Amino acid sequence: MPRCPLHNEPELITKPTQFNRGFLLGIFALLLLVCPCLLPAAPAELLPSGFRPVPPGVHALVGATVVVKPGEVLDSATILIRDGYIEKVGKNLTPPPDARVWDMKGLTIYAGFIDPYLTLGAKSKSAPAKKQLDLTAGVKFLGVNPQERDAGTEGPGYEVARITPERRAAQTFSPDAKSLAQLRELGFTAANVTPEKGIIRGTSALVALSDVEPNRAIIKPDVFQHIAFDLENRKEDVYPESLMGVVAVVRQSFFDAQHYILDQADFHKRPFGRARPEFNPGLEALIPATEKKMTVVFEPRDALLVDRATRMAHELNLDYFMVSSGQEWRRPDLAKAAAVPFIVPLNFPVLPKMPQPDDWQQVTLDQLRAWDWAPENPAVLRKQGLEIAVTTYGLTDKKDFRKNLRLAVDRGLAENDALAALTTVPARLCGAENMLGTIEFGKQANLTVVEGKGYFDPEAKVQSVWIDGRFYRIPSDEEKESKEEKVAKVEEKKEAVAKPVTPEEGDPNRVKPEEKGKVTTTAKEEKSKEDKKQAEKEQKLAKMKVLQQRVAHSPLEGRGVLASPPGVLIRNATVWTCGPTGRLENANLLIISNKIAAVWQEKDASKTSPRIPAGSLEMDGTGLNITPGLIDCHSHSMILGDVNESTLTSTAMVRIGDVVNSETPNIYDQLAGGLTVANLLHGSANPIGGQNCVVKLRDGETPQGLKFIEAPQGIKFALGENVKQSNWGDKIVTRFPQTRMGVQTFFANRFIAARQYLKTWADFKKSGGPPPRRDLELEAIGEILDGTRLIHCHSYRQDEILMLIRLMEQFNVKIGTFQHVLEGYKVADEIAQHGAGGSTFADWWAYKFEVYDAIPQNGSLMRDRGVLVSFNSDSDDLARRLYLEAAKAVKYGGTPEEEALKFVTLNPAKQLHIDHRVGSLEPGKDADFAIWSKSPLDFQTVCQQTWIDGKKYFDLSLAPARTAALARERDDLLAKAKKLNALSNGDGGSDSSSDDNSFFNLSLEHQYDGHIRHCRDDEE
Amino acid sequence: MTGTSVIAGMMKNNSNIDRAPCLSSASHLARPKVIARRLSPLFGLFLLLFLFTAVTTASAESVLLQHAIVHTVSGETLPHGSVLIQSGKIVGVFDETQPTRITYPADATLVDLQGQHLYPGIIALNSALGLGEIDAVRATQDTTEVGDYRPDVQSWIAVNPDSELIPVTRANGITHAEPAPQGGVVGGLSALIALDGWTTEQMTIKHPVALHLYWPSMELNTTPKEKFKDESKYKSLEDQAKERKAKFKALDDFFLEARAYARARTAGNSDINPPWEAMLPVARGQIPIMVHAHDVREIKAAVKWAQTNDYKIILAGGRDAWQVADLLAARQIPVIYESTWTLPQHDHEAYDVHFRAPELLRKAGVKVVFGNGSGSFDAAMAKNLPYAAAQAVAFGLPESEALKGLTLYPAQLLGVADRLGSIEPGKEATFFVADGDILDLRVNVKRMWIAGHEVSLESRHTRLYEKYKNRPRPK
Repeated sequence: MPRCPLHNEPELITKPTQFNRGFLLGIFALLLLVCPCLLPAAPAELLPSGFRPVPPGVHALVGATVVVKPGEVLDSATILIRDGYIEKVGKNLTPPPDARVWDMKGLTIYAGFIDPYLTLGAKSKSAPAKKQLDLTAGVKFLGVNPQERDAGTEGPGYEVARITPERRAAQTFSPDAKSLAQLRELGFTAANVTPEKGIIRGTSALVALSDVEPNRAIIKPDVFQHIAFDLENRKEDVYPESLMGVVAVVRQSFFDAQHYILDQADFHKRPFGRARPEFNPGLEALIPATEKKMTVVFEPRDALLVDRATRMAHELNLDYFMVSSGQEWRRPDLAKAAAVPFIVPLNFPVLPKMPQPDDWQQVTLDQLRAWDWAPENPAVLRKQGLEIAVTTYGLTDKKDFRKNLRLAVDRGLAENDALAALTTVPARLCGAENMLGTIEFGKQANLTVVEGKGYFDPEAKVQSVWIDGRFYRIPSDEEKESKEEKVAKVEEKKEAVAKPVTPEEGDPNRVKPEEKGKVTTTAKEEKSKEDKKQAEKEQKLAKMKVLQQRVAHSPLEGRGVLASPPGVLIRNATVWTCGPTGRLENANLLIISNKIAAVWQEKDASKTSPRIPAGSLEMDGTGLNITPGLIDCHSHSMILGDVNESTLTSTAMVRIGDVVNSETPNIYDQLAGGLTVANLLHGSANPIGGQNCVVKLRDGETPQGLKFIEAPQGIKFALGENVKQSNWGDKIVTRFPQTRMGVQTFFANRFIAARQYLKTWADFKKSGGPPPRRDLELEAIGEILDGTRLIHCHSYRQDEILMLIRLMEQFNVKIGTFQHVLEGYKVADEIAQHGAGGSTFADWWAYKFEVYDAIPQNGSLMRDRGVLVSFNSDSDDLARRLYLEAAKAVKYGGTPEEEALKFVTLNPAKQLHIDHRVGSLEPGKDADFAIWSKSPLDFQTVCQQTWIDGKKYFDLSLAPARTAALARERDDLLAKAKKLNALSNGDGGSDSSSDDNSFFNLSLEHQYDGHIRHCRDDEE
Repeated sequence: MTGTSVIAGMMKNNSNIDRAPCLSSASHLARPKVIARRLSPLFGLFLLLFLFTAVTTASAESVLLQHAIVHTVSGETLPHGSVLIQSGKIVGVFDETQPTRITYPADATLVDLQGQHLYPGIIALNSALGLGEIDAVRATQDTTEVGDYRPDVQSWIAVNPDSELIPVTRANGITHAEPAPQGGVVGGLSALIALDGWTTEQMTIKHPVALHLYWPSMELNTTPKEKFKDESKYKSLEDQAKERKAKFKALDDFFLEARAYARARTAGNSDINPPWEAMLPVARGQIPIMVHAHDVREIKAAVKWAQTNDYKIILAGGRDAWQVADLLAARQIPVIYESTWTLPQHDHEAYDVHFRAPELLRKAGVKVVFGNGSGSFDAAMAKNLPYAAAQAVAFGLPESEALKGLTLYPAQLLGVADRLGSIEPGKEATFFVADGDILDLRVNVKRMWIAGHEVSLESRHTRLYEKYKNRPRPK
């Protein structure tokens, strides 16, 4: 590299200008004509004496490979910069006489990179504990003042503390210089600084990553409103604690903002004769997003929640896009359906070192898959036709960014897409495409200059960045410099003379003269060092090679529909119809498409064989038993996140339907037990729990695809010990109610509130007035009053059962089911008379005081007294064995076998009001059925096949191959992991910090794998 | 098995078995007592009619149970069998189809079982039965002491004879249980109790039967640091591995120290130290160590430890035991398998992995006993123990092995197979009558004898059932 002897900066090459002055003037004149808008150029600011003067602002970058935009490259081109913007780009340009000319030969220049999702880290990790305040904004459900456990929000604000849309990154942007330098080192010149805590978090600000005062750094304030389904910074006992609570809060906030707009408008129109509306800074700040004037960025943090965010955005009519969770490979279909750009972090899990070889056994297949898929996720998103922008967000060590980007490229992300993800896409997303993203005339002079082979070679150093026309030198990496250069540098330092001062002066890595001795080591030492380097390089290459090859399969593989014939005919089986025809021996079952076409006995002469569609599957059912698909009226499986929103006493606004988990292996486990329908219920931590969701176990479907859409809506209620927090410990004693007396008081309160709510709306619709607020809690209770929402009430003791019956009768409400209802046998007549169903355990008892009187004859006794009875599981395990639970009704209560089977088929269908579709094998009903080796009540029976909607979802004969495939995949992944670890020489992983256990992060979908969830537990 | 039994000389001393109260139920009293002298089955019906109202003054020491499907467990099942009991013991088991004469005392009570099934009493190992009543009510919990090393904690002295859980459990064929002290590393000593008796002393039929060792968890906590509420509690995997090793070392030392103490005692040292004293039967190899472990690493470590030191161990829990079935078989380590209903714990495992595990173990040569867990809720559900075995049968285990795993094998494990576990002459008259296959969930236990005493099958459940069944219907 030629060096100017007068210049003290080894890497800044200036060449004396040798152009004809007149020619330059001509160009200037031409420019004046073409773009008068760029003139007059403001003179550089003259700072007060003593300050370092602002450097001249005209530069000519000569001879570089200029990547104007992805796909458009100019070789040995020139970029002219004038006072912060790009004046000209092209080949054979003559630098103007006032330009400082930079020789950029051998360098590649890109448009300055933009990080669209930068969080700068909270200054202090935890805020000091708030003292109890007398008057706060906040939800008033968690205890009587001053005992409430939620301290509330200080000052005006939204009632939920983690809803802070009024926070503005533009107001608090005050970065420390180090973190900016770190980003510049990666080639970033601008970033969208994002508030990082809370659910609705506030607005982001696009900033230049320059060392200037914040006012100048901010390019654009309030770029997006940010929403994250964030569970990490939740507080115990403060609403919302659960994922479904988080979703519910977001929904309510936007409805509140909509109402706020109307209410304020109404007040402005006629400020007399109505109550003054409240001032709410949170809602005020949500208005632009509500009116689609500001884009909302969702951070769903999970593959399935992409779907939730998408649906929510449509429901609330928002402009939106997403931040990738890195998990979209699990369900690319959901990402595709989102049909918006994704901001993609590159925080790939790092392979752990397990202390003992045996310890690998606790590493799950899913963790290995997540690790192996992660680098491919950006490519997966691109393959769905989605635009992506990449971010350093989520990286523990931002230095991993380029290495991981390279890996993403190796795993299928096109380099042009990667470049777009750094430049044009984030520029456009942030609404700054007229300023940033390409190297074009008029844009801000933000450039990223890279040595060697360009940015996508992680070894190629980012030489410098330019931000708003100012040059930022990247600290040199000593290790990578040759000895010769180092010596030269030291020599240079010695002969330091006066030279132009640039902002890069304070380079900490610069070699000081006294270190010269250290640098000039003997040749031998150098040689061995070189060898070591070479070996390291080779190892790195070998590692790269292993990493490049994906071993993991898609979790959707081997799941889902196994057969979908146009028809199914099973001959000569024992068919438990659970319908009026009872159990039929030597019977045939015909399915056409997704419905049951006929069930008949061969001997029944009145029935001739119906027509069977071509291509139908025919099966000999000799010796086999067929039953309707089993139905579990009380399940907590297939729920993403917590089963309870256990904070507030009424959480009628939270919806299980928002958090259906389509990815849990539990679906398959339960299909293998003949189960086809489950009633997913909120837990029993509060008197009024969340809304339920009835699903069909269509494994492989999306969360939406699992839903039994035709099932009427319902809600979970609960009574007794759980809701009065009897077993929550001695400290939790302030939430109303703490007694069964209070439970009744509370229900009466909410139902009267709901009745008034309905009246308010009715009045408004009839005669206008100030628009009422849409309250999702009271709306749901109102639907109970309207008769469109079923109550499923967790209950044990006879007095509380009777209490709810009588209270609901006062409101003309018929209870759908009592759940558990273990003392139902004591008040069976009253339950029957009211018309509620009883969904009970076959034989659970004695796990807490209120079930000491539970008896296994409960189901049979209730049935004998005219109650519609079902047996449920309330357990991910028991749901696999409901057929045997039904057998217990025969044992303890002498219930006839066919009636006992109805406890897990027709009766729960009736209780859920889906018996017109499922629950029995009758023509016209859904083709949901299970095939058994023996009577379903026989302990030796094994489920052979399970069908839903005429499609086969479980087949015992295929189960071993499925397991073998999973085991093989895991072995392959472990082999890959071990190979990589071996290549790391057992040094703890050169690329892993010992504290980085991100590898072990369980996805929400698999958080509860192998755990049994039921609402028996007080904290669940 | 011959058709004739020799009554004389079969009486074994059973003085340590206290007579349980005869809990006569109404139905029991209503049953006609039939006494016959040298009754031949051929004339049974005639004599039965003839003697129907006969009154006798003879003692009721001898009872002949007739016309039952006798599941001897140790031998063949007799589709038409009789069992003669005397003074609480089985003195004869007869095949009624054999021409050999059945002899029995003149004053024997004859009980016609009408073709129902007769099974030896089921033994529930590693249970909280009697120690815990209502899971959520702390005051009712006596399952878990504090401290890691407390071998001198004895489970049997804290059994509540009037626990409502006991009659409920009994009503499903379970006649004996092993209440186990929970928690810590060396949790304490257990005994075998009969589910019948006025006092803990009467119920306890053998103590101690095992020392309970809860193998320190070898599971690494992989929770990422930032997910800790208190980050100072975070430990790296390496540190955890070190800690794990230290914990193992501590337990290993404990048992070596116990042996040293035993030697000192043998040598005449008279300084009594209660914890070490409690370890004597273990140190001297008189009782087995019940090692509680689920994780395959823990199981392997325990097996290696036992082999190195020549300890006699029983594996309890055993979720992953099937993975090392051959190892367990080679070391002749029996397994109390408690995981039949456990969901697959690894996402590459088959949905039925734990349904099939007992058969995998058996096939390898491991003796499998069934348990249903040792928590308080498990105690309330101990009545379902036969169904844990039933599930394994549906998935391949031979039914005869399932039955043994409920009766004979547990008796063998605790060293009481000379008196319990099967229907054989010389054993205790502890058995029950069922109206079908006891593994069938539709089947009910109809009658039960423990040590020759017929016990009531009434329970809190049946009492409440009867009460509310008879609640007047609304007009």
